[in-house]
Amino acid sequence: MHRYLFSKLAQSLLLLFGVLFLVFMMVRVTGDPAALMMPRESSPEQIEAFREEMGFNDPLMVQFGRFIVEAVKGDFGNSLHFKTPAMPMVVERLGATVELAVAGLLMAMIFGIPIGLIGGFTPGGVTDNIGRFIALMGQSIPNFWLGLMMILYFGVELGWFPTFGRDTWHSVVMPAFVLGLPVLGQIVRLTRSAVLEIRGEDFIRTAHSKGLEPKTIYTKHVLRNVAIPLVSVIGVQFGYMLGGSIYIEAIFSWPGMGGLLEQSIGWRDFPLVQAIAVFTSVIVLALNIVTDMAYSIIDPRIRYGR
Amino acid sequence: MSRKQLMSILILLIAFSLFTIAASPAQDPEPPEAPEGTLRVALSTFPNSLFIPLTAERNADNAATQLFDSLVYFNPEGELQPALAESWDISEDGTVYTFYLREGVTFHNGEAFTADDVIATWESGSEVGEWTDKYTLVAVEKLDDYTVTLTTEAPNPELFDTIFDFWAIIPDEYYAEVGLDGFQEHPIGTGPFMFVEWVKGDHITYTANPDYWMEGYPLVETLIFRPIPESATRVAAVSADEVDVVGRLSSEEAASLEGVEGVTVVSYPVTRIFYIAFNNLTTGVDQPTMDAKVRQAMNYAVDVDTIIDALFDGHGVSAAGYVASSELGFGIVEPFGYDPDKAMTLMADAGYADGFEMDMACPAGAYTNFEEVCEAVTGYLAEIGITVNLEIMESGQYWELEAAKELPPLFGDSWSASSGEALRRLTGALGGWDAAYSAWSDPAIDDLLAKISTTVDRDERKALYEELQVYMQEDPPFIYLYEPVAFEAVQDRVMDYKPHSQESYWLFETWVTAE
Repeated sequence: MHRYLFSKLAQSLLLLFGVLFLVFMMVRVTGDPAALMMPRESSPEQIEAFREEMGFNDPLMVQFGRFIVEAVKGDFGNSLHFKTPAMPMVVERLGATVELAVAGLLMAMIFGIPIGLIGGFTPGGVTDNIGRFIALMGQSIPNFWLGLMMILYFGVELGWFPTFGRDTWHSVVMPAFVLGLPVLGQIVRLTRSAVLEIRGEDFIRTAHSKGLEPKTIYTKHVLRNVAIPLVSVIGVQFGYMLGGSIYIEAIFSWPGMGGLLEQSIGWRDFPLVQAIAVFTSVIVLALNIVTDMAYSIIDPRIRYGR
Repeated sequence: MSRKQLMSILILLIAFSLFTIAASPAQDPEPPEAPEGTLRVALSTFPNSLFIPLTAERNADNAATQLFDSLVYFNPEGELQPALAESWDISEDGTVYTFYLREGVTFHNGEAFTADDVIATWESGSEVGEWTDKYTLVAVEKLDDYTVTLTTEAPNPELFDTIFDFWAIIPDEYYAEVGLDGFQEHPIGTGPFMFVEWVKGDHITYTANPDYWMEGYPLVETLIFRPIPESATRVAAVSADEVDVVGRLSSEEAASLEGVEGVTVVSYPVTRIFYIAFNNLTTGVDQPTMDAKVRQAMNYAVDVDTIIDALFDGHGVSAAGYVASSELGFGIVEPFGYDPDKAMTLMADAGYADGFEMDMACPAGAYTNFEEVCEAVTGYLAEIGITVNLEIMESGQYWELEAAKELPPLFGDSWSASSGEALRRLTGALGGWDAAYSAWSDPAIDDLLAKISTTVDRDERKALYEELQVYMQEDPPFIYLYEPVAFEAVQDRVMDYKPHSQESYWLFETWVTAE
């Protein structure tokens, strides 16, 4: 167990280093920040002085080395746009992003798991057909489009929910729905197929034949086995929701990390983009480790450490 | 009189009385005695700071300025007005500016406003915002508690503009106590509104300053700024009456708001000029465009009005030279106008009756429909025999090349200015090797710009701008295109809201009717 955890951590660190490298390189191929940050009235000397001051003139490898050393200390430098340290600003926005992701995930689970279970136990039924339709829609409708349409209909036309912001619990409903819908679709499909598969297993037939109550079979044997793939998908999807809410946060003016990232890319705010990308990666990697750990609790068959 | 006649008279009478009721003017709402109600203003991005020397762009400026006052201000008509300075003198040689400060003004924390605060403002601005580079100021001195002098190296006609734009007076004792970070957490000024809270990315809330020095202002009790970066969401938010003022809308978005009950769309030209630049420093050397006649011909060849009609639904103004319509010295020259015959004649005179071939570049995604504008220009130039190879470039790469003066001999761009005068735009675009984004140098222009930058007298400066514009029509360094129009949408209950050509918000005199 400890050895498994250790190797998992080592893998994650390696991945993180890759992320740091990619993030560092990618922001640098999008253009010269000096050209964007300095006023148009500047003289060539002022622009050159700015580049020098920010260290953009050093060889890339030197810049990368400096970046890694500071990143380990959690220091990503000052945001070019906000002129204050980048990392605290990202942490400040974390709460809103987590709130949105948790709300979206809960929505997906509360609706997705029952629909999937019903579909699995009664394939071809009305609920199953509706559930499969929702699953298909959830995974194929572009969510930025859905977000705008919902704002127009439920926000402007009907006035049920605020069109933007994070004021009351009403505010979270629409963005959480849009963010959670693809996950809902995935949960429905996964739960349904897992139930179908497990129902056909030998041990279920044995349970039936030895005269166990169907209720006991479903709760003790089927549900427990369905939980295993579900946990892994939910863990992965939660990470995706934390990092993938960029457009949804931007559309709903949700004051989280995603909205900030969307704007900071436009400003060519290197330090801020890097801080957000790295911070999000750390969260996703941590979630993956937690998910792996959760397996061993649910399913004692999985013996880690070999 | 028959019954029928009686009936028709009766109907007429009823109709007439109904008409007069409908036509009688509704009671005009009066501004409130004391500040009341809430005004909710959308911003198009997250403000970076509410400390004026650090504000990065217009949205942050608009949010921050409501907290502060400067020594002077320019009203929306462009006239210089007293603010925290009641009056001022300028020395004979135009280098010593003496300001006599208003007495009895207090900051939001109760601190009294004196000359020390002006000094502190200058010092903090110089330290944090690197002001000393921007100004030609030699000294800022306190003569007594209510008199300060500013001494400049040379006469500086832009001094009042920069003071208005940047000198948001801060309380020296409070700033010394809390420092820069503390001040940014809770900014304090003498302005019409007082800081309440700032939830990053979500909202900024202010409340009316009950002791504001300008009698009878402000007129709203609570002022809230909400950043909504996505313009489609701004449209939705104003339609759903969740904000009162939204800006930075496209003409399509503005059109979609026509007919929405309770919302009025306003449009006004912004201080920005679009153009195709010529190059006489690097890539344009020895090209046909070195000849002024060719450059004139190219101006006559482009039908700017049709471009504005076709691509901007008519929302835009044909640029008359390189001075915007809200700026000093505007009005002396007319736009070239579309005259292909004259263009052909000029081309023939210059020896290019058969035309020529040339490269041109434009940035992608930087401005509304600008790629299409460049394509239209290419088409018009083809009609007088000029084959233009247009390259649309990613804007980041584009500006890098522009700063390196490596763009093709024709390149499209735009330039704004916020000071009420065209000087910074002119020196920026025409400063030659001394300016990062210039590809044009002309000693005659340099000479006039040098004179403008040291002439303090407004009328003399106006005359110089006019002389320069006449020259720049005869020897045009650009194909002049258009001034764009900005669109905002405002709830009908908002009164005395005056949009401004620099997209700045003037909210101390704005009020909302009770519903």
